[in-house]
Amino acid sequence: MVFSSIPFLYYFLPIVLILYYMAPGKMKNGVLLLASFIFYAWGEPRYIVLMITSILLGYIAGIYIDRYRGTKYAKYILFLSVAISVGFLGYFKYADFFISNFNAATGLSVPLLKVALPIGISFYTFQLISYTIDVYRGSVKVQRSCLNLATYIAMFPQLIAGPIVRYADIEASLTNRKHTFGDISYGIRRFTMGLSKKVLIANPLGELCDVFAASGEQSVLFFWMYAIAVSLQIYFDFSGYSDMAIGLGRMLGFKFMENFNYPYISKSVTEFWRRWHISLGSWFRDYIYIPLGGNRVSKVRHIFNIFVVWFLTGFWHGAAWNFIIWGLYFAVLLMLEKMFLLKYLAKIPQVITHAYVLLIAGISFVIFDAANMASAGACIMAMFGLGDAPLVTAETLYYLRSYASILILAIIGATPIVKQTAEKFSQTALGSKIVLVAEPLVVVGLFLVSTAFLVDGSFNPFLYFRF
Amino acid sequence: MKEKKHIVYTAIMALLFFGMSFFCWFKPADDFSWTERRPLDQFPKLNMQTLLNGSFMSKFEEYTLDQFPMRDQFRSMKAAVAFYILGQKDNNDIYMVGDYVSEMEYPLHKEAVSQSMHKFASIAEQYFQGTGVKLYHAVIPDKNYFLAADNGYLSIDYEALFQQVKEEGSFMEYIDIVDLLQLEDYYYTDTHWQQQSIIAVAEALADAMGAEVKTSYEEHTLDTPFYGVYYGQLGLPVNPDHITYLTNPVLDSCLVYDHQNNKEMPMYDLDKAVGRDPYEMYLGGSLSVVTIENPAAATDKELVIFRDSFGSSIAPLLVDGYKKITLLDARYLHQNMIGNYVEFTNQDVLFLHSASVLNNPSAFK
Repeated sequence: MVFSSIPFLYYFLPIVLILYYMAPGKMKNGVLLLASFIFYAWGEPRYIVLMITSILLGYIAGIYIDRYRGTKYAKYILFLSVAISVGFLGYFKYADFFISNFNAATGLSVPLLKVALPIGISFYTFQLISYTIDVYRGSVKVQRSCLNLATYIAMFPQLIAGPIVRYADIEASLTNRKHTFGDISYGIRRFTMGLSKKVLIANPLGELCDVFAASGEQSVLFFWMYAIAVSLQIYFDFSGYSDMAIGLGRMLGFKFMENFNYPYISKSVTEFWRRWHISLGSWFRDYIYIPLGGNRVSKVRHIFNIFVVWFLTGFWHGAAWNFIIWGLYFAVLLMLEKMFLLKYLAKIPQVITHAYVLLIAGISFVIFDAANMASAGACIMAMFGLGDAPLVTAETLYYLRSYASILILAIIGATPIVKQTAEKFSQTALGSKIVLVAEPLVVVGLFLVSTAFLVDGSFNPFLYFRF
Repeated sequence: MKEKKHIVYTAIMALLFFGMSFFCWFKPADDFSWTERRPLDQFPKLNMQTLLNGSFMSKFEEYTLDQFPMRDQFRSMKAAVAFYILGQKDNNDIYMVGDYVSEMEYPLHKEAVSQSMHKFASIAEQYFQGTGVKLYHAVIPDKNYFLAADNGYLSIDYEALFQQVKEEGSFMEYIDIVDLLQLEDYYYTDTHWQQQSIIAVAEALADAMGAEVKTSYEEHTLDTPFYGVYYGQLGLPVNPDHITYLTNPVLDSCLVYDHQNNKEMPMYDLDKAVGRDPYEMYLGGSLSVVTIENPAAATDKELVIFRDSFGSSIAPLLVDGYKKITLLDARYLHQNMIGNYVEFTNQDVLFLHSASVLNNPSAFK
């Protein structure tokens, strides 16, 4: 089930909210867990068993790591637990990638397993791994209630597309949380903003990308429009989902970490990755990069660490070479920035550094979105006039005119301009009164318009479900 | 103050949200969408099998979309936002120019046109070899020919389509009717041409085939508003059309027979004029085999028209030149069945299709 769907918005969510708020405090986690299982089973009836098995193994591992704390057995159990989690992920997500590459390298024809990817496996696996490692490190207490741990892992707002919520961040809320009107109204606003970002901006941009892909008259200008559209689509799709997850979490009494912080205003790639998919970046930092030694090692080892982390970041996004290349592309850029580029970027005008980041990000998302590296390469070459595409066609101009407003809206929305202006305005005497009335009207309006787009259209896939 | 604001805020949203949700749950299901001219999905079958294979979930989503309360109003809201706030030139490929509404036909599918022409060639090879039939073909430019390019919308390369049709249909005599048509000959909200505006086209077709249809008609305009096929797809309120049909004593005396359902029918079915697709009043709409017999004909000539829906309104205007007209829709009639309805001897055979049908990859699969 996706958040931006009529069954979720008008059937699942109201029933869950009614039951959740009616349930006494001790039963709220039970209601939440049951709802989360139904939410997951709605899209993946068969794989609910896999998720429950993973949760049980994580729960048992946590208990035994705690029991054997300080002995070598705790390490063995941790290793076994992580290996099983990674094993599940490897089998369901990467087995066919390895087989097809093995076949290509050896000329053999080992049959593919053709296993369907369980939704959200990358997210809940990382949460389980972080939990068991944190228990091993002693940075969190072991969760002795299987219900509470399952509620954490399976909680539907963040189950299938993140953010990757750390157990430490919601440990206290699992057993003791408050539900205030302030949190509920914030959650409603945040959820509606996310829904609007997804439905009113990301989906139309996705349609433009589809039009581009189906076009028989691609021009240089159209390749650039596509690169801009896909970069914005991925941002609004994913950050919209994160907003919805954070909003839902707040309505249910949880505070999830922020996942995006206007990445397209960055002045370096390093800064971009501090603002983009923050929960994933911090996960890799805390559970891969730092354990490998981080930057407190020799230069060669540091470079190796960076490559490992970004290889895994790319590979986490998908079992295909373009994702790996996408990750390594950032590894190279981040390394260059660390070595010397950041110094120069700090000295040159901001307009150039912004342009540099946008160009790097645009090219990266062309690679990210491509079916394979050959088409990514062809697209990037065509962007720079190195293909046989004409500069512009009538079709390109038509779609530029048709999508210009959405592109401009998306570009403005990807910056904090609107938020900052509204905040400044609301600080004035008149502004605060206007905002008091206008804000609920805007939220109601956005909710209704988003509903209208959902009722009318069927184009609604969430990009991050495949990860 | 802040807490009060949060309570009011939460109350407003809860009222809206739960109110709409209850409306969704308890609204009786509708059977049919008149604006979209299609049946609406009903609550899907629920059992262990449909739950486990996921078909219940996907059908339930379709059901909730189809049965959403005030669905047409929400679709109108979406169209209005897409056009007037997001500045989109079209909404699901439907666009407006003044009072005209149309669907973008783009791009030119050369393979589809070839597929259509191969189909006609295959019919000719199977049925017309060694007979005395004379073969003609004409392409009806759809409304976009007059509307799209001049107003900045995408359209197919019509000249390329006409040229391809002429080249690949060289076994037939091509009749050019493009210059006899203009935008005003089409309905505002529908894809079709208006019968009262195509008399000259009928005369030109008959003339090219050696028949004569110089006659006069009496116009009858229906009071019932005609909301064409694009009206529902557009989702915005626009002025409806009105259907006009032409009669004269010759047409009144004709015998019209629906071979698909084995029954006589009227030339103009006024009951259908108030039905889900009023254009179906012309010769019963999308029927695969229809014959019109003209007892008052001054000739023994017969005409066979391979046609699409545009043919329904022009066929009556050709009656005066023929003793019998047979209308066949090769999209719905298997090629091997054609011989069951027509014995080809020395008839005129006209392939008359709109550009949008020829350009449709699935029309003549």
